[in-house]
Amino acid sequence: MALSRRDLLKISAILAATSSFGSESSKKDVDIKKSISSYRVQNAPLPKPKGPRVVVVGGGWSGLAVAKYLKKFSPKTDVVLIEKRSVFVSCPLSNLWLVDLIDLQFLTHDYLQAAQNNEYIYFNATVYDIDRVSKKVYTNEGIVSYDYLVLAPGIDYDYEEWTNGNMELETKLKSLYPAGFIPGSEHFTLKRKIEEFEEGNFVLTVPGGNYRCLPAPYERASLIAWYMKKEGIKGKVVLIDENPDITIKKDGFNSAFNELYKDYIEYLPGSKITDIDLDKKRVVTDMGDEIDFSDASFYPRIRGAKLLEIVGVAKDSAFNKKEADIDPFTYQSKADPYIYCTGDVRPMGFSKSGNTANSEGHLVAKIIASVIEGKEFKWDSPITVCYSAVSGDPIRAISVNAKYAYDKKKKVFTFKDASTMENWKGKQGIMSGKGLLEWAKGMYRDMFM
Amino acid sequence: MERRSFFKICAKGTLLVAISPFLIEGYLKADDGRLFKSFNRVKLLDCYGNPLKEEILQEEVTYVFNYPYASTPCFLIKLSEPAAKEIKLRDEEGSEYIWKGGVGKDKKVVAYSAICPHQLAHPNPNESFLGYIPKEKKSMAYKEGGVIVCASHLSAFDPKTGAKVLAGPAKEPMASIILDVDEEGVFWASAVLGPAKFFDYFKSFKPELKEFYKNIRKAKKLVSLGAVVKPLDVYSKEVVIY
Repeated sequence: MALSRRDLLKISAILAATSSFGSESSKKDVDIKKSISSYRVQNAPLPKPKGPRVVVVGGGWSGLAVAKYLKKFSPKTDVVLIEKRSVFVSCPLSNLWLVDLIDLQFLTHDYLQAAQNNEYIYFNATVYDIDRVSKKVYTNEGIVSYDYLVLAPGIDYDYEEWTNGNMELETKLKSLYPAGFIPGSEHFTLKRKIEEFEEGNFVLTVPGGNYRCLPAPYERASLIAWYMKKEGIKGKVVLIDENPDITIKKDGFNSAFNELYKDYIEYLPGSKITDIDLDKKRVVTDMGDEIDFSDASFYPRIRGAKLLEIVGVAKDSAFNKKEADIDPFTYQSKADPYIYCTGDVRPMGFSKSGNTANSEGHLVAKIIASVIEGKEFKWDSPITVCYSAVSGDPIRAISVNAKYAYDKKKKVFTFKDASTMENWKGKQGIMSGKGLLEWAKGMYRDMFM
Repeated sequence: MERRSFFKICAKGTLLVAISPFLIEGYLKADDGRLFKSFNRVKLLDCYGNPLKEEILQEEVTYVFNYPYASTPCFLIKLSEPAAKEIKLRDEEGSEYIWKGGVGKDKKVVAYSAICPHQLAHPNPNESFLGYIPKEKKSMAYKEGGVIVCASHLSAFDPKTGAKVLAGPAKEPMASIILDVDEEGVFWASAVLGPAKFFDYFKSFKPELKEFYKNIRKAKKLVSLGAVVKPLDVYSKEVVIY
């Protein structure tokens, strides 16, 4: 007779108890292993798949779109979205929440509702390993088997350039001066910092490489400056930019910095931080600047989420470390044809923005559905639509709209049909501010309704 | 007759005139019942409640009327040139349907459900992110004018060709409203052709619909008597298009 899980647990408990009276320590190790393995073999508490099962790891802007549209394009497919968070918090528009221009409810959304509305399973668990041979995803809630796997785990931070392996410094930077580009607690800490700021320099940084949300650090600088000005705070934002110039919507941000925040933003382009002294609260740059700060939020370089490396589908890209090693047109892993990677882990030089990741999710859903349904598909460019606020009350914004085309000679993607609206003044800026909120509402509808 | 079998007949395009005499011009030919639905035949009215005639419509102005439900806005546009004819269109899932063209004297008048097929942006009494850009103007969404744009996510649609997608994230055309003109030159609306988004719209905008129509039941009421046509900048307090 096969032993049930309950029996196994009982036995391991008895063995563990018995071993504590034994004298041989090696026996104890064996018993511990036994008791552990009885947990390991458990499958996740999910119904049997009713069709080919696609497991999507990561419920961000890309993963949510893949789950929804895959089910739409191939209804027989069984879709499971594994996400470690129990609540969705939007990174796009979070800068507005930091300075009270929108409330938290605007940014938070419900995974259960998304799954219910779109007929897939939301499985609230953390993935720690994947066995590509047996096609199993290991989570803290049990094992999930797949036929196809989509990895959309997003970014991790890469502090190496600043810390050179000093884990004490890295942990301090992460916990005391978080970047605020992976939502949740980082954003709460940053909001508190802004609210409680009394005087002096508030340091923000813009990393090199292809970092998440190109305009966001400039938007954040503008909005914190706007907040300081409104609240009469005797301080300024010092924006240390590793890039030689503002990376996107340059005219719009430049004019906002100069015309609205002359006394509130000090912009230091082409400046790499060479030393961070958290005791003295001082940073030094390669341009020779020494900046004392009252508070700060350090945005380091980014890399592909570490899960990719664990799974063995990562490679350094032209921009960042350990991004997905995939075919840029099919999103299929070069190491494993059953794995697709999408969203901010992509190695292509697309803008790492919510809109881009979401439109890519639509495409990846179409690709996998056509594989399952035996149909053809045509590559279509992801779309970058990105608004940035430069001030509040009323919200004024600038924007960019672009697609991408592949340059066969240079073997890179370049912008196609790109246009920007960088005039934040007058009626146009206010209309864009309204467009910013309307854009977000539409995107949340796309992912959750 | 059940709606389903009616669609089948429509699809074959044979008994259409016999069943639905008001569709004399034979507007529709959807290969799938999902893509065509007839509603009440409703007379379009001007702001004073008089039957709407072509001469009062200004060219290249966006007009709005609510149809087929009390809360679902549609655009009525008199283009500066005749619309195209017999345009083959596809919805996101690949189903094909045929848009027959414009109506009125020079076949310049077209009507579309003003709910963006991408993420359902639409004109409401407060604001509209959707509208027609006259030929000589330009918007961020598209390199030329003479198009309907949704400023929310920058999709552009061609009103001359059944609201085919020209640019942006939308994957399917705006649904078109079947119009006809009677012997007295009055416009009537009678059906919706193409990927209508009414179900998703009612689901997604419950709070907004409650605000403007008191309750969801009133918002979902089918228009039956007449539909008043207003310029977009009268229908919505603010038109947000760039």
